[in-house]
Parts: sequence; structure tokens; C-alpha cells
Amino acid sequence: MDLPSFSELLQYIFDGLSVGAIYALLALGLVVVYRGTGHLNFAQGEMATLCTYGVWELHDRGLPLILALVIGAAIGFGLGAVIETALIRPVAKKSPFAVIIVTIGLFLGINSLTNGVWGPPPEEAMPSLFPNKPDDFVSIVGATWRYERIGVLVVCLILGAGLLQLFKRTRFGLAMRAVASNPESSRLVGISTSHVLMASWGIAAALGAVSGTLVAGVNTSVTPGMMFSIFVYASAAATLGGLDSVGGALIAGLSIGVVENLAANIFPDWIGQSMRLAVALVIILVVMLFKPSGLFGSSKVERV
Amino acid sequence: MTAMLTIENLSAGYGQQSVLEDVSLQVGAGDLVVILGSNGAGKTTTMRAISGVIPRTGAITFNGQRIDKSSPDAIVRAGIAQVPQGRGTFPELTVLDNLRAGAYTRRDGEVDKDIDHWFDVFPRLRERSDQRAGSLSGGEQQMVAISRALMSRPKLLLCDEPSLGLAPLVTQEMMAVIARLNQETGLSVLLVEQNANLAMDLARAVYLLETGRIVASGTPAEIAGNDAIRQAYLGY
Repeated sequence: MDLPSFSELLQYIFDGLSVGAIYALLALGLVVVYRGTGHLNFAQGEMATLCTYGVWELHDRGLPLILALVIGAAIGFGLGAVIETALIRPVAKKSPFAVIIVTIGLFLGINSLTNGVWGPPPEEAMPSLFPNKPDDFVSIVGATWRYERIGVLVVCLILGAGLLQLFKRTRFGLAMRAVASNPESSRLVGISTSHVLMASWGIAAALGAVSGTLVAGVNTSVTPGMMFSIFVYASAAATLGGLDSVGGALIAGLSIGVVENLAANIFPDWIGQSMRLAVALVIILVVMLFKPSGLFGSSKVERV
Repeated sequence: MTAMLTIENLSAGYGQQSVLEDVSLQVGAGDLVVILGSNGAGKTTTMRAISGVIPRTGAITFNGQRIDKSSPDAIVRAGIAQVPQGRGTFPELTVLDNLRAGAYTRRDGEVDKDIDHWFDVFPRLRERSDQRAGSLSGGEQQMVAISRALMSRPKLLLCDEPSLGLAPLVTQEMMAVIARLNQETGLSVLLVEQNANLAMDLARAVYLLETGRIVASGTPAEIAGNDAIRQAYLGY
């Protein structure tokens, strides 16, 4: 093994951060839903893909990409709210396990929907939100940082910070924290828990629309299975961060991106590209063994 | 004088299981009314039914307005706040955020003024305003729960066994606070207790709840004058 040079190391960290930003964004969606209901939404990745196809359709009809994304995120919000009201809530009353089955069913259903509608060729080509020509990069101490990767990271940080402020500073954020803390008492102080849960699913789906569009931009196309491995990393990030912590999901997502990228590049022979996922899972296993509530989670979290 | 809260033939339960059967009671404006009952008599179910967090049948009228079909948030807006059993604070939220959450239904600009007021009433809460409510002692959490309920500026306060799990001295302090609120501000209070001795002194009217039914009611003196009741509930 050759030790990487400083600029190589910097390069691996840059690349890892922008990949991790995508994990973090999808993980934020998982956290927002988990905080409200205590459920892991297995369809988060597929909902993101569906919304991204929506963005593609709007863009394909001539809307500027950024406008298509805003509308797509709004439609995603509505989709999330409808799914919560129509599918999750009636089942949640019966059993928490049933909710897991419903979200897995959603995963499969949306996956076959996207495959059926958009799966056949031609492929849906997606432009990037950011400049991505070969020479669109800055050099920092010998490492290249592409504008597109910087853009993805910045979007992730802005949305993460926005979400933190929403939770901390707004009346609605207070309601979301109260419902997560004690649902019965929330109702007794006059918080409509159903509105909070609808909005939580809506926000999660809107975040999915953004992360899906970023992924498609980096991949240069939308494909039905594009969020699958990202969802695995995102649920790893959410778990590592503590499942109910916005900041935890952000930090964990970025860290997983950096660590797996470092490991894959520093040990190309025995980790390499094919074993990247294993690195993430080993980190999680170790953290779960020593701190079951995740790095930043409140200790009351126990359901997964 | 018409009552502030009138409950007629209230039945409620969980799923198929009925807990309350045909409960009827009244709370007049400015009254402090006590429901006495042992464990499992249906005291908490009564409170939850009034607040609308469980399905219920029967008529509940508050200030001339039927609220038995209303949602919990509409009931809070109508002027009924509850201090739930076991305090029910938001343990992960700070004391300050607990009080802010109590004012969730309010849109006026005086929330901060009210928080300041309750911090004057409970100075220990001001000292701990940035601490998580779950880290407070039982008595302090009870203060959080009471001030949180009062943050909605209710006309009627429902108190579900405020003495539960508290040291006798702390319990006395809580009862004194509730009595003072009732006497000084005219706040109507419906209190459920199994600790009869504590509650009898404060009450204007007492209802006795046994296995989901009201079996006796009257003034504290009438209840204490009944030998059977006195022996069963007051222990002398």
C-alpha cells in the first residue's frame, strides 16, 4: 500500500463529502418521518425517484430545471402527505409492524410503477443543476473540486440548516418536537398531531425530490433503481446519527461518504469499489454495539 | 346559575372495553370540583374523554357549547386545559419550550408575558428554563405541567391526580397552588384524586367514582358525613 499524498487525501475527502451530502439529504427525510411516528420509511428512496421523474417530466415540457425542481418538491410534499393520511395512518392504529409492511409495499409498488412508465428506453436524460463541463472545477492544493460536487454539498448544508432552524425556531417546529416527545400531551395542548404527521411525510418526500434530482444530475439520467443503494447508505446514516437527530443525520451522512471513499481509495486492493458498502456497515455495527441510540440520538429511541 | 361544564351520560372506553358508564356531573364557574375514586375507577378515562383524546358518547356542554364531538385542539381553544396524570411533560424539550407548547393554540402577542408570569409563580422553573423537562424533579415537572396547561389561558383546568408519585410536602404545595389559582383568579378546576384527605378540604362538590359509575355526590361535608363512604375513602 502506498500512502496517499496530501492532495490525493484532500481529493478523497472532497469526493466523499459530496457523495455523503446525498446520503445525508435522504437520511434527513428518514429522520423527519421517524421523529414524528417512530417508523422507518422503506419507500423514502423510491418516493424520491418518483418525484425525480416528475421533475424530469416538467423539465421535458420546457420548464427551467430549477423551477421544475421547486414544483416537483411541492408535488412531493403533497404526495407524502397523501401517503401518510391514506396509507400509513389507518394502519399505524393497528400495529407498528404493519406500517413497515406498508412502506415495503410502497417501495415495491413505486418501483414497478417507475419501471413500467419510464423503464423502457429511451433513458430519461437529466441535466445537472450546476455547471458540469469538464473544466468546471477549482483546484485546491492540487485536488480538483468540481462545481457540481460543491453545489450538491452546499444544497445539502442549506437544507440541513434550514430544517434545523425550522425545528428550533418556528411554531410548527415546536409542534413537531412536541409530537415526537409526547404525542398524547401534544394533543392535550391543542396540537393537531395529524397535521404534524402529514407535514412530516410531506417534508420528507420534498427532501427526497431534491436528493433524487441531484443524484440524477450527477448520473446524467433518471433510472428506476437509482436511489436503491443510496437508500441503504441513507438509512445507515440516519441510524448512525441517532434516527431522531437532524444534525446527527447530516454529520453521519457526510462522515460515511468520506470514510467509505477514503477506505476504498487508500485500500484499493482489498476494499476498493466493490466493498464500499461493507465499510459503512462495519462503522454502524461498531457504533450500535457501543452506543445503541446512535451518535446523536436521544436515548429513548429503541424501535427500528 | 348554569354550570360551566355539564356532563350527561358520558360513556367511554378503549376498543371494545367500556370503562365509563353513564357518568353525569357538573362544574360551576369558579368551582373546584373533585372526583374521588380508587385505582381503575375510571378517573383518567373521564379526563381523557372530556379533553377529547379518546372516543366517547354522551353530552358534554361547556359554556353552552357542545364539545363532545370536538377535536382535542378545538376543546383547548374553547378553554379547557388538562394537567395529565404522571405530569406528561415533553421530557426532551426545555422547560421554556414546554410552556411555549402550552400556548400553541394562542395567536396573541402576550405569550412571553405569560411565561414570565408563571416563572414568577414558580421561580424554580425560571432557574431551570433551559434545562430539559425530563431532568427535573417530580415536583418541578408538576409545576411545568400546571404552568403549561395554564399557558393556554383556560377557563377550566382538569387536574389528573397531581399528587401521584410526589412527596407529601410537595403534594401539599401543589394543592395549595391549585387552590390559590381557583380562589384568586376564579379559575374553575376539576380535580381527580384517590387521596381523599387532600382533596376534600378544597372542594366545593365531590363526586365518587366506582368502576366507571358515579355512586355518590355531594358537598364535602355530606360525603364525610356518610359513614360507609368515610370509612372506604377517608380511612377513619
